[in-house]
Amino acid sequence: MPGVTLTRWTMAYFGLALVALVLAELLMAFGFGYPAVPAEAAETLVLVHVVAIGWLSLLLCGALFQFVPVLVTHKLYSDTLPLPVLVSLVSGLVLLIVGFLQMGGRLASAWPAFPAAAVLLSLGFGLALWNLGRTLWAARPLSLAARFVVVGLCSLGATVALGVIFALVLGGVTGHAHLIELTASGLPLHVIAGLGGWLTFSAMGVSYRLLAMFMLAPELGGPRTRAALYSGAAALAVAIAGGVAAICLEGSLTLILSVAGLLGLGCCGLYGADIVHLYRARMRRAIELNSRMASWALASLAVAVAAIIVLLGAGVFTRYVPAVVFLIGFGWLSGLGLAKLYKIVAFLTWLECYGPVLGKTPTPRVQDLAVQTRAVKWFALYFLAVWCATAALFVDAPLAFRICAGVMALASIGIIAELVRIRRLVDVKTALRLPPGVRLPRLLHCSVQHA
Amino acid sequence: MTTTFVEVDVRPILRAGGEPFEKIMQAVDALGPGEGLRLLATFKPTPLFRVLGSRGFDHQAKEVGGGDWEVLFSPSGAPADKVEPAKPAATDDQPWPEASQHLDNRDLDPPEPMVRILTATETMAPGEVLSALLCREPMFLFPELAKRGHAWRGGFEADGTTYKVLIRIGTAAEAGK
Repeated sequence: MPGVTLTRWTMAYFGLALVALVLAELLMAFGFGYPAVPAEAAETLVLVHVVAIGWLSLLLCGALFQFVPVLVTHKLYSDTLPLPVLVSLVSGLVLLIVGFLQMGGRLASAWPAFPAAAVLLSLGFGLALWNLGRTLWAARPLSLAARFVVVGLCSLGATVALGVIFALVLGGVTGHAHLIELTASGLPLHVIAGLGGWLTFSAMGVSYRLLAMFMLAPELGGPRTRAALYSGAAALAVAIAGGVAAICLEGSLTLILSVAGLLGLGCCGLYGADIVHLYRARMRRAIELNSRMASWALASLAVAVAAIIVLLGAGVFTRYVPAVVFLIGFGWLSGLGLAKLYKIVAFLTWLECYGPVLGKTPTPRVQDLAVQTRAVKWFALYFLAVWCATAALFVDAPLAFRICAGVMALASIGIIAELVRIRRLVDVKTALRLPPGVRLPRLLHCSVQHA
Repeated sequence: MTTTFVEVDVRPILRAGGEPFEKIMQAVDALGPGEGLRLLATFKPTPLFRVLGSRGFDHQAKEVGGGDWEVLFSPSGAPADKVEPAKPAATDDQPWPEASQHLDNRDLDPPEPMVRILTATETMAPGEVLSALLCREPMFLFPELAKRGHAWRGGFEADGTTYKVLIRIGTAAEAGK
């Protein structure tokens, strides 16, 4: 029972992820990608991958390296792998962007960027999966929350596998018939596995634990949580495995995705009921900013799910897929990510600085590192801009969308400034800020405690 | 080997309503190698048999009249029991002393339980034990305890939601390891 120490590079993951977030928002504000060009255009693919890999995957990987050990009360398998993973993912993403720009005719060089990106991204995600997988394997039997993460990691494997197939086909490395068919028709599977499986399902698992922890609510593990896990895992299995089979065997992809969709909606309903229960059963009546903002992100997910049902019912879902994906990506996943970052960065910084001197000298509390009344304005601005941008996509108002994206970038920079202030202990009272034995933490690198 | 006996008569203390245990233990500590203790008491001091037995003394008790008892504690030749500080306290299979401080941290926001536990450990003497109730396994606390040289044992209670951790304060020497 060695406990959990700080992961050295978690802050570097968070820092690079936030850079990617602001970059994506600025690209949208300047009219790069959808809706100025079609959703399947190369520019849109650049934008989508800056968000999905650069922002959300780096954020989630950094968080999982730090918190999977907490989730399963078992030490991380390797403390050295996170850095090579980070380097592989960032360089792979850069090459992937180059590949998309070549594909769209924006870059003239014929350098094989897609195959190189495929190698680096599969290496990076592969090592991340190996590290987290070994950690989880050693900690069996797993709690329900950890099993959500396992399903998320399996989905990441599927997402990367499909992505590598696309990259190899588009890069001209392979001409295998089934792989070409998968590249032609498999995009929905890649999106479902990535957005639904890897990002959303993992976030659900982590949110069960973090929300319970931060609001002093009972840990969930009853039949409803179990049903949410099984229905969600089944939905992903049907969509990914069934979808691949349908494409290769020329079956009905629509039928497969409908079945998966029904299971997925069931999962979202059960998860929603669980989360409402968590908020109601909490012992902490006045909840902190991160939990309040997480509820706005959860509301965005609920609206997205409701919109999917209504649009499917009206038979116009296909037309509005980009708007729904935008709401899931920025309202739900990014909103939840930013809200939890606000708490996590403060907690990890506090532990790094003051952990060694706790009890020996007066120290600030975690909440003394942050000024919530100032941060709440940026969060409110962010969510307002996301919801307005979603509405602009629904009513097809590209200029309004760009303005909203600009406001999102502004709000994100505001939140990042708050995170930097937390990390540098700017808002801690001078008397308590740096007692003897405490060093100011570095921005992107944690000093690791040695036992 | 003949045993010389040092006599300790605690009858006056007992008759005055006093507690002779400390005087007896002082006399035992002052014994030289091969020396025994001749104890005179107003009753058969059964509890002492076990205490001194654990320190390597056999006993012979006889009633000497008037309700008084004479007990001869002689070195048994067997090595003295290892409970005493002769052996470093680090091995974990020995029983720990009763907790001298108790904390119920179940209703506190993280990381307040950790702050309270570490604050309490700073006020305690080496060898003392702190008991704390928590609502989850304190994963971030353990490295800090290890760094400070404290030992700990923990586990969930039968209710499955309360985590009880016992922390034994280490010495500075252990912390340096």
